[in-house]
Amino acid sequence: MMMVQVENLVKSYDGHTALDGLNFGVEEGDIFGFLGPNGAGKTTTIRILTGITKADSGSALIDGHDIFTKPGEVRKIINAFPESNGYYEWMTTYEYLEFFSYLYSAKRSKQEIYKLIESVGLNGMDNLLIRSFSRGMKQRLGIARALINRPRLLFLDEPTNGLDPKGRKDVHDLLMDLNQEQGSTIFLSTHLLDDVERLCNRITIINFGKIVRSGDLAKMERKGTIEDIFFMSTKEKAL
Amino acid sequence: MKAQYIIQKEIRESILTPKGFLWYVFTSVILSILSYFFLTNNELSLLDQSQMLYMIMNFITVLGVLMGLVLGADVFAGEIERGTLEALFLSPVTKIEIAAGKLGAAMVNWWIIFAISLPYLFIVGKGGQNLLRGILYLGILGTLLSLTFSAFSMGLSARTKSMKNSLIISFFIFLLAGSPVFLSAALRMTWFGKILDLVNPFADAINTFDSVVIDSQGFSFQIERIAIICGYTFLSLWFLRRGASRLEI
Repeated sequence: MMMVQVENLVKSYDGHTALDGLNFGVEEGDIFGFLGPNGAGKTTTIRILTGITKADSGSALIDGHDIFTKPGEVRKIINAFPESNGYYEWMTTYEYLEFFSYLYSAKRSKQEIYKLIESVGLNGMDNLLIRSFSRGMKQRLGIARALINRPRLLFLDEPTNGLDPKGRKDVHDLLMDLNQEQGSTIFLSTHLLDDVERLCNRITIINFGKIVRSGDLAKMERKGTIEDIFFMSTKEKAL
Repeated sequence: MKAQYIIQKEIRESILTPKGFLWYVFTSVILSILSYFFLTNNELSLLDQSQMLYMIMNFITVLGVLMGLVLGADVFAGEIERGTLEALFLSPVTKIEIAAGKLGAAMVNWWIIFAISLPYLFIVGKGGQNLLRGILYLGILGTLLSLTFSAFSMGLSARTKSMKNSLIISFFIFLLAGSPVFLSAALRMTWFGKILDLVNPFADAINTFDSVVIDSQGFSFQIERIAIICGYTFLSLWFLRRGASRLEI
């Protein structure tokens, strides 16, 4: 079953075309890697698919619901970790997650929130103010926030940016568990090809707002490394 | 209604961060100084009680309007700049509910300021005429004005998405709105002053205070001015609703 179905998505900002007729689909249960150089349109795509921004034209279905006409229905089953995620720094870890849990109909119990805090590696930090956190700790908290409603589809925009190797491994393990144990579909936008190799089963490469390559990662890797595929597709020398 | 959680969050933020808390401290300090001078200064203490009450009511209203404009400017633009609005927009809470929650919190802030000012109003206006009526009118018109200017500033914040621009425009609006207080009596009688008085909900409020506290006029004299203020309140709420529902990050 298709979890995400995008057809002819177009978006322009001040005369600049960010998305130029985007078409792709994500199957339920996939860990879908969404790759592309800076300015390719990755974040714009995620913002449209999460209902933050409207597209100029085209359609986007999430689990069969149109994000443009039924954003409320879609938001119940999705969540996202945006690239520039900010935090209410005067709150504690627990208060932050509790606040977001209240915004969803299925409120989380205290134990569930503590369990979530533990699952992202912030054990014992539930009463610490967010303003005292390092970037990596904030990153973990942001991911915990994105898991607060047990999303069936999770969008992650550069989730391991700024994390040390241990932090990255923890996030990888968390996402694998989420995918395998809860069956969540993961839409991962990243620059880190290593993350893609470790996690994703399918990838799509976007450049100048258009899909330039899409398919099963294992099949693609028979023709070369992920790095070769990326550079060939985007014709760029560096990330 | 999810808006209640947004209100709770905003109120906690007001109390736990300097954002709102400083307003409460500032109000207490300024009102203490004003009351002290009203009661001890040789010239000011010659004013009759209703005159003092009227002046302090004007000051509280100015403060309420200023607070609504400044805090309102931060509501959407500030959250966009701090990167916190996207997470709110991702939740199944509508933009209108978010705006309603933030406006509700702005009202609570005004009521806190009003509550802080009550003892000062009683001390300064004690023994004078129309004290309770004056406080009642201040409560009602202050709430309407706070709602009007907060909603306007929030709508502006949603449209400009820039804290700096929202603040600059809000301060300009504050100067225009506060013209009856800032302009001298002679300037208020010029065509410019008269136009400002005519179209300014803030001027309607302080003219109502004057009419109620000093001239002891009844409600029927106030209806027209109150209706104008209500008109501005509806306009501002419409402006906020439109700005919030169209807001994209």
